[in-house]
Amino acid sequence: MIQKKICMVGVFGAGKTCLVQQYVHSLFSTKYHSTVGVKIDRKTVALDGTDLTLLLWDLAGRDDAADISVSYLRGGHGIIYVVDGTRRETFDQIFELQTIVTNAIGVVPSVLALNKVDLTESWALKPADDAAMAKEPWQVIRTSAKTGEGVEASFAWLAKATVTGAAQ
Amino acid sequence: MPDPNQGPEAFQALRDLVVGPERRRLDHLEQEFDAAGLTPDAIAEHLPEAIALRAGQDHHLARALGPTVESAISESVRRNPRQIATAIFPVLGPAIRKAIAEAMSGLVRSINTAIEHSFSVRGLRWRWESLRTGIPYAQIVIKHALLYRVEQVFLIHAETGLLLCHAAPPDLKVADADLISGMLTAIQDFVSDSFATAESGGKLRTFSVGELTVMVEPGPQAVLAAVVRGQAPDTLLPRLQDALENLHYQLAGPFAAFDGDAAPFEAARPALEACLETVLSTDRREPRTGPGPWLVWAVPIALIILIGGGLSARSSRRWNAAVARLRAEPGLVVVSAERSGGRLLFSGLRDPLAADPRAVLAPMGVDTTTVDGQFSPFLSLEPEMITARARRVLKAPETVTFSLRGDTLVARGTAPVAWNPSTGGTPAGVERVDWSGVEPVLPPEAARLKTEIERSRVLFEVGSASLVGTETQLRQVAAGFERLVAAAGGRPGSVRLDLIGRTDPTGTDATNQALSRLWGEAVGNRLSRLGIPAGVITAIGVGIVQPLAEPNAADRARVNRSVSFVVRLVRAE
Repeated sequence: MIQKKICMVGVFGAGKTCLVQQYVHSLFSTKYHSTVGVKIDRKTVALDGTDLTLLLWDLAGRDDAADISVSYLRGGHGIIYVVDGTRRETFDQIFELQTIVTNAIGVVPSVLALNKVDLTESWALKPADDAAMAKEPWQVIRTSAKTGEGVEASFAWLAKATVTGAAQ
Repeated sequence: MPDPNQGPEAFQALRDLVVGPERRRLDHLEQEFDAAGLTPDAIAEHLPEAIALRAGQDHHLARALGPTVESAISESVRRNPRQIATAIFPVLGPAIRKAIAEAMSGLVRSINTAIEHSFSVRGLRWRWESLRTGIPYAQIVIKHALLYRVEQVFLIHAETGLLLCHAAPPDLKVADADLISGMLTAIQDFVSDSFATAESGGKLRTFSVGELTVMVEPGPQAVLAAVVRGQAPDTLLPRLQDALENLHYQLAGPFAAFDGDAAPFEAARPALEACLETVLSTDRREPRTGPGPWLVWAVPIALIILIGGGLSARSSRRWNAAVARLRAEPGLVVVSAERSGGRLLFSGLRDPLAADPRAVLAPMGVDTTTVDGQFSPFLSLEPEMITARARRVLKAPETVTFSLRGDTLVARGTAPVAWNPSTGGTPAGVERVDWSGVEPVLPPEAARLKTEIERSRVLFEVGSASLVGTETQLRQVAAGFERLVAAAGGRPGSVRLDLIGRTDPTGTDATNQALSRLWGEAVGNRLSRLGIPAGVITAIGVGIVQPLAEPNAADRARVNRSVSFVVRLVRAE
């Protein structure tokens, strides 16, 4: 059985935990976020006929991106960055988070999940932001915790990328 | 800068300038290397001291040589098990005795515990608890008498927190070991980040939760975590450390190459399972409360004395007879025999070919369901066992019987010519086998062909060695012999064809002898050209000695100018 460590990061309230909770196997409660600062779930992805286990380290979101616990990133095979598409500041801070992560563990396969894509009226990102996102080594996927859009796709893309070693 | 037009001398000068010092250093090193004498001869001279020196410093040499020595021993056992068996025989006996002694004392202890717990007030309380909660009595006893139990062992990749290998007893179902492994790593990081100072670089080592203690032993590549229920002894941590060090050594390659695939770490499972253990305080005594267990004992004992007095004498006689019968059984060594709680406990040694003790006791009227035997296997040298083993090893047919004469195994009887006992080797416990009493026999079809061939005679004219007119007959003999060999199915050369040449009484004995031999050889040559291997044919000339019987004198002369056939079977040895 191949296992990969995936870290999920995003500032406080970006909706990381909501985004995945329907799709993963949880043993620990969300209380761990406020105590230990991380909660680990499991997601099994079928890849080319074999099962791949993703151990999903859901890192607690802080108001300040610099507060992230770098120890929890160690050995990560892939990263999911989560942004709340209706809250502009979560998008702006994700670049700062990305710098911290890259400094800590280098460039690994990453997904940028633009969350809450179902809330089209209050969508806060502009077409111009696409250019800023496109410059970075990550796969941009629009997601919705409500409709489930893009969630499985994010896992599937990341699973494949961690196995083939592609950074983007 | 030398002028390129100046030729090779200039380049030589340039080379000296540029690489001269290095060249001289290389020469010097080469001389030192030679002077140090690192030749095979020199190494051979210092090898024993070097090994002794390193072995005194640490265990690396032993670990490095371990796999080679193991495979050398396996290879040696595969090629010649007898040699190893002889070599370790002196240690086997004491080891078996020790194992039996330990097993017996453990048995006595556990019986004591069972009796104590069955009839004491505490035991009754535990039985009540078992009835009330529906948990089996044995588990209740374990719960209360448990000193400690290593319930789970995790081998965790230090950097990623991914689970490499996990061991737990079969009765303990553990789901989500991978999530626990990850969280344990996260909590370790959390504790280090929160409390450890940069200088100490400390790690979370041991923590307790209720009845459980989690012992965490960090290593450079992996963390070993053991979940212990009860009071973990001081000796456990060094054992975990030792196991982890060995795993780092043994799995250095998989650790270096680790990228999420835990499969190579299955090799760590035996080491992890070795850490699992349950230790019960079977001889721990609690202060007694209430009426002593003597009251509970007194009543049944009085009853037993009253009712069982008469029965006891009879049962005692039967018991003594049973023990004597078992002691007399070949291949069984009864070391101890006890009666306890209505059960008969025997222990000792048993040859794998010896009779089952229960089967021996059954005809004596012993209820075999009450018989418990603990017998360690051994090789008995009693004659019955040697012959039984020989029969098995040699795959001997029922028609062959074996007996012993000193160190010699004597075989008697008849055996199919196809039987080849030499593939079994010399059976254990004997020096040699005497096969002279074994008569090879043919299967019915081959026997019929033998009679047919032996009835055939090749007749010769007076003074002639011509085979003209005998071709059909010889072809029949050759074909019959080939079919016979196939039907016998024996080893090559186990069926032979003897050709007996004879002459009539006219002429001198010397001439007749030579002529009869000549005829035999002529027939032999012809048969070997017809496909019978020359090696199995023996031509014998007997002249006029042993003539064939024939009442009519003229016929007698004709019949005896002949070559006849004897199919001879060669005994297997």
